[in-house]
Amino acid sequence: MAVVRLDQLCKRYGALTVVDQVDLTVADGEFMVLLGPSGCGKSTTLRMIAGLETISSGQLSIDGTLVNNVPAKDRDIAMVFQSYALYPHMSVAENLAFGLRRRKIDRAEIDRRVGEAARILGLEALLERKPAALSGGQRQRVALGRAMVREPMVFLFDEPLSNLDASLRVNTRNELIKQHRRLGSTMIYVTHDQVEAMTMGTRICVMNNGRVAQIGAPLEVYWQPADTFVARFLSHRQPDHPDAAQPLGPGSPGTPGWPAGHPGRAGRRSASGPGPVRRYRTGPSAGPGVRGRAAGRRDPAGDRDRGGHRLYGPPAARHPRDAG
Amino acid sequence: MAAIALRRGLGRSALALVIGLYTIYTAAPFLWLATMSVRTTNEISLDHYAWPHPFHWEQFRIAWVDSDFATYFWNSTIVVVGAVAIVTLVGSAAAHALARYRFPGNRLIYGILFSSIIFPPQITLISLYQILVDYDLYNSLFGLMLVYISLQLPLTIYLLESFFARIPQDLFDAAKMDGYGDLEIFIRIVLPLGMPAIATTLILNFIQLWNEFLFAVVLITDPEKRTLPIGIRAFMGDHFQDIGMIATGVMISVVPVILVYVFFSEKLIRGMTAGAIK
Repeated sequence: MAVVRLDQLCKRYGALTVVDQVDLTVADGEFMVLLGPSGCGKSTTLRMIAGLETISSGQLSIDGTLVNNVPAKDRDIAMVFQSYALYPHMSVAENLAFGLRRRKIDRAEIDRRVGEAARILGLEALLERKPAALSGGQRQRVALGRAMVREPMVFLFDEPLSNLDASLRVNTRNELIKQHRRLGSTMIYVTHDQVEAMTMGTRICVMNNGRVAQIGAPLEVYWQPADTFVARFLSHRQPDHPDAAQPLGPGSPGTPGWPAGHPGRAGRRSASGPGPVRRYRTGPSAGPGVRGRAAGRRDPAGDRDRGGHRLYGPPAARHPRDAG
Repeated sequence: MAAIALRRGLGRSALALVIGLYTIYTAAPFLWLATMSVRTTNEISLDHYAWPHPFHWEQFRIAWVDSDFATYFWNSTIVVVGAVAIVTLVGSAAAHALARYRFPGNRLIYGILFSSIIFPPQITLISLYQILVDYDLYNSLFGLMLVYISLQLPLTIYLLESFFARIPQDLFDAAKMDGYGDLEIFIRIVLPLGMPAIATTLILNFIQLWNEFLFAVVLITDPEKRTLPIGIRAFMGDHFQDIGMIATGVMISVVPVILVYVFFSEKLIRGMTAGAIK
């Protein structure tokens, strides 16, 4: 368990700055979600924390220790990749044990941890299989298990659910939340999916163009967006998302416990009636001459009247997956 | 139904016929050579295609012991196995570096290697001869091994680089996160995953070098340092060719090639591709 602190973190490729002065402190045991459209620098930020990208400037510390120049292999961080990155020539058991063997952990202890992770994730019957013989969901669980057995200080997730089909994505999301509660570890999770962010994060860090747009609890960011970008990005409903037909709210599996009487509840109730109307000032990222009202019925999970989107252009262009 | 069955039967027969003809086409010369290897030159002169009667198995003993084929065989083994081992190791390491690491001059080195494949190796023969003489490596098995390594290395790197470049970067990142350094990642991830390609280059290099004649005949002069192809040539005189002995020598030299091919193409590739990259 550890506190991860990013202090003015920058990543530059020549003249191009992809991560620009990111300040972020992830508390011990917190589930921090880095949210933003493709190309906003969230994955690069995560890879800098992992040690897979060099840091151009700024400071990164884990548990109070500056780790800017500590190689990835010595940072005691585990990462779950979007592609799962399972070693194809090793069995599931070998995949799980690979990181432990390097750390010269006792054989009996390796067997115990692998067995425990396999039991928790339902992989016991698959331990001798190669990754090619597993389904997408099973591979995802192996990737998660490989991170869990390490018992690292920090878990990193790089869009781990985006390759799963709709129903599996919901199940795995719940599984991840469950594991976070069980382990109580510091976790940093990158996604471009607002629903994932709203339902999983203790806090959300919304990023745009390499900069932090806003950091806060899901509902705080949702109800009090710092600028029009955050407002637009969080309120956008994704028609192709598995949850679009069934808006999440209090009592839905995996949602943070919204208190009774919280605006989140009100927002959900308002889905059948006229929604609250809010007025946003345009932020610096909105571009010159863009002003207006974002109005519509809304829900923290992104269930919102489409009419409110007209202000921001055609929906297809604004879909986060389509953004550059 | 009957028509479909008939058509399927005809299709299978046609396929079997083609495969059968091709098998005869490729196997017949080998069988002919095998029969000649247990016949004397006189018998072969009387009837080129006759079945051996009796089988002169002593031809192999004569070749192996009296004609120094044992020496040639071991010379070839030392030079070729050494060269192939070094080419495979250095080649895969270089290919990994070129495929995975971005450093100044990466593509320049790749371009130089690639350009050396385009030119026929014969054009380097005279300069190589001079270099070997200068460094006291002329007429030595070690010198020949170095030449073989330099001949096969560019193509090996070229083939392996394109294969290694297709291994997903995430696997390397995952191994780094698991605590492994660059060298360990090369040994534990790149080599096992690249084994199908490595086995292919290994077979190609072995066959190519085992049969190599031109460089060996120019760079080796001592009879006791001859490799197998040069040894076989010793049976070819200006006026008389000992066909029986040549056939026996060729049979001796063919056996390792078949063994290497069978072992690496079947067992290794099948075993390694069981969990290949998806």
